[in-house]
Amino acid sequence: MWLHELGAEVRRRLFRPPRLQAAYRNSPYDEVEFLAVDVETTGLDPTSDAILSVGYVPVSGGAVRLADAGYHLVRPPRAIPEDTAVLHGLLEENLRTAPPLAEVLPTVIEAFRGRVGIAHHATLEIAFLTAACRTISGNDFRVPFVCTLALEKRALARRGKAVGAGDLRLASARSRYGLPRYRAHDALNDALGAAELFLAQAAQASGRKPATLGQLMA
Amino acid sequence: MELAEIIAFLAARHPFDLLPREALEALVRKIEIRYVRKGTVIMSPGDVVTMLSVVRSGAVETHDGEGNLLARLGEGEVFGVRALFRGGRAVHRSAAIEDCLLYQIPAPAFERLRRDHAAFAFHFAPLEGGRLKEAQPLDGERSFPLLSMRIADLLRRPPVTVAPETPVREASQRMRDEGVSSLLVSEGGKLVGILTDRDLRNRVLAAGLDPQTAVAAVMTRDPHRIDADRPAFDASMAMSRHNIHHLPVVQGDTLIGCVTTTNLVNAQTVSTVHLAGEMFSRRSVEGLRDVVRQIPGLVFHLVQAGATARGIGLATSTLADAAARRLLQLGEEKLGPPPVPYVWLAAGSQARQEQSAVSDQDNALLLDEAYDEARHGDYFRELAQMVCSGLDTCGYVFCPGEAMAMTTRWRQPLGVWQGYFRRWIEEPDPKALMLSSIFFDLRPVHGSEALFETLRATILERARRSRIFQAYMAKNALTHHPPLGFFRNLVLIRGGEHHHALDLKHNGVVPIVDLARVHALTLGSPAVNTDERLHVARDAGLISADGAADLIEALEYIGHLRILHQARQVRAGKPADNFMQPKDLSGFERAHLKDAFAVVKTMQAALANTYQADKF
Repeated sequence: MWLHELGAEVRRRLFRPPRLQAAYRNSPYDEVEFLAVDVETTGLDPTSDAILSVGYVPVSGGAVRLADAGYHLVRPPRAIPEDTAVLHGLLEENLRTAPPLAEVLPTVIEAFRGRVGIAHHATLEIAFLTAACRTISGNDFRVPFVCTLALEKRALARRGKAVGAGDLRLASARSRYGLPRYRAHDALNDALGAAELFLAQAAQASGRKPATLGQLMA
Repeated sequence: MELAEIIAFLAARHPFDLLPREALEALVRKIEIRYVRKGTVIMSPGDVVTMLSVVRSGAVETHDGEGNLLARLGEGEVFGVRALFRGGRAVHRSAAIEDCLLYQIPAPAFERLRRDHAAFAFHFAPLEGGRLKEAQPLDGERSFPLLSMRIADLLRRPPVTVAPETPVREASQRMRDEGVSSLLVSEGGKLVGILTDRDLRNRVLAAGLDPQTAVAAVMTRDPHRIDADRPAFDASMAMSRHNIHHLPVVQGDTLIGCVTTTNLVNAQTVSTVHLAGEMFSRRSVEGLRDVVRQIPGLVFHLVQAGATARGIGLATSTLADAAARRLLQLGEEKLGPPPVPYVWLAAGSQARQEQSAVSDQDNALLLDEAYDEARHGDYFRELAQMVCSGLDTCGYVFCPGEAMAMTTRWRQPLGVWQGYFRRWIEEPDPKALMLSSIFFDLRPVHGSEALFETLRATILERARRSRIFQAYMAKNALTHHPPLGFFRNLVLIRGGEHHHALDLKHNGVVPIVDLARVHALTLGSPAVNTDERLHVARDAGLISADGAADLIEALEYIGHLRILHQARQVRAGKPADNFMQPKDLSGFERAHLKDAFAVVKTMQAALANTYQADKF
């Protein structure tokens, strides 16, 4: 819609992702602005699979801020395989009336402005958002991310724990910190789940002083 | 926007369950979520607090400034309310005892919720007190719809009616002659208005109206009315809801009477007097037992009529007195007049007039100095035996601690009793005190009050002067305490019949009673009833006015819950006890009970401080 009416330059500027400065890495985590994000997709391949929904919630000052949480359904370009639809509980009918990715993406990218991403298995979120940015604006998605799955893997390794299958799943990782069970596979719930897990991990990684962003990203 | 998980969590918890869906959805958008590691102090006294916190997972402990545990909070429980009510300064210290996830509601959002939703605001309304007091009728209404009695059962007489054109002077003369406080105004048998004492004062006398003014000009037109077939409880609800003291009763279109505010409770008071009267007409223990057996039913009705726990305690104690007095009369008839003066003393809860539906007997016999074991021993042994076993037959079972007049040790002349008390007071030993503290609550029931007065004077004088005794009593008063971890099922009775039950007596009532006793004895006050003792302590400045009011409310609330619980048991044909299962408490009751416990804990801490109880 309005996106297609914009010139290429404006589009590039709009989608230019925020960059992480070196000094930022030494900031205590509770002084950094984060955005926890989760995308639900039709599959695992960003080149062929489609985003169905995006959920995100900011984390700042060491707290999850629900006020600026966001959730968007996305109309997929093709019909969704049945098994996926069941998994996400997203009815095709709801998706058919949702806006296309091109309309949703600017809002999502705007939410990332000045923020560091948080996701559980961030590679997947980064890959899908990058693919989306490239397709729609021709830009890269260059947002620094903290991956809660990687953090958990390191934390377990540091304690000499063997990591079994399923131990790194969001729900398993959360249960290790006494975090409540949320219904999985809802983009906003999962984003919230990752945000809370991040706070728990950061609290654990902190000594007398809060852990720095660099420590949590390394 | 879907934050269904959080909405569902809050919607299932009190008091958030009182909010409409839209309010919850809007609230969730204001929430901040924090993770707090075990051991972290979340707030200390004096800290600025800007948020109300809800424990989502984990556990938090709240301590007062002196380090006394006030509450242990688990999933779904709220803290920081006091701080927000005191200008955003923390009053207590709250720390995570487990890793916690907290949902935090900013103060302005919390305030808006309280402003917009009365039920929600009511839950938090003055944590300092008010809420406990107000909770009772509400709770009674919810738990005990009065089903057994109809409004028609309450009517004592046909309605006193006048025509609308009757002059007010004539109307008031009619009221005087009939001894009523209101007149129903009818026209062709139909109710058109009501005229009350208050109307005569406010609308006639104060307004300077002519006595010839027609009733129609000053009556309340088309007043609320209620159908005679409705449950009696509806009448009391309607009256409190509309703040009226007189409620006309109709059957269809026909006016058949009028119920007054005090009618309901009075109807029950009448039955208390009636039962006592019945007792004095019985000539055998068995006959007396049949009357005593009606007491649980009476209590049930008193509960339904909305009587206070204190009022019910007074009624049951009065009846216990009557039973003992009747047995003593029968004993004297059989054994002949007593050879020397004596006085039968009620001890413990009966003495305090706080007896509950389940009570064993605590009593003692104080004999005149002229008592001579050899000559009079048999008479009093037999009398005490008759009365104690008679009480046992009636349902006031033998005291397991043998604190009864049939025990030789507790059936002694004045000098011996004075010796007991001298030893208890001047050489206190905690264990002996715990057993004997029952005798620091005494009330004469039958016999020579002067004899009792002599004993009491020595007790009070010695107690008032002995600092060491007071400190021992204070320490003793701290042996029972409220189960602060109750809501996380931590401090419940383990094992046995009452596994995981809350002991409303020892964890709720006893700590308050003990507190009041220490204060009263310190002051040398003759007060025995706990409310009276707390008033005395307040007037003497031993406890603050707020502290006294809080404790009285807490006692009333816990007592109220206990009576409701026992009334339910009686209703279900089970024996009444003091053990409540946590699952039987509504969220509402839990919240109030927790407040009550926090009050007790705070006052116990103050007591420990005052008497340096831990030094002994």
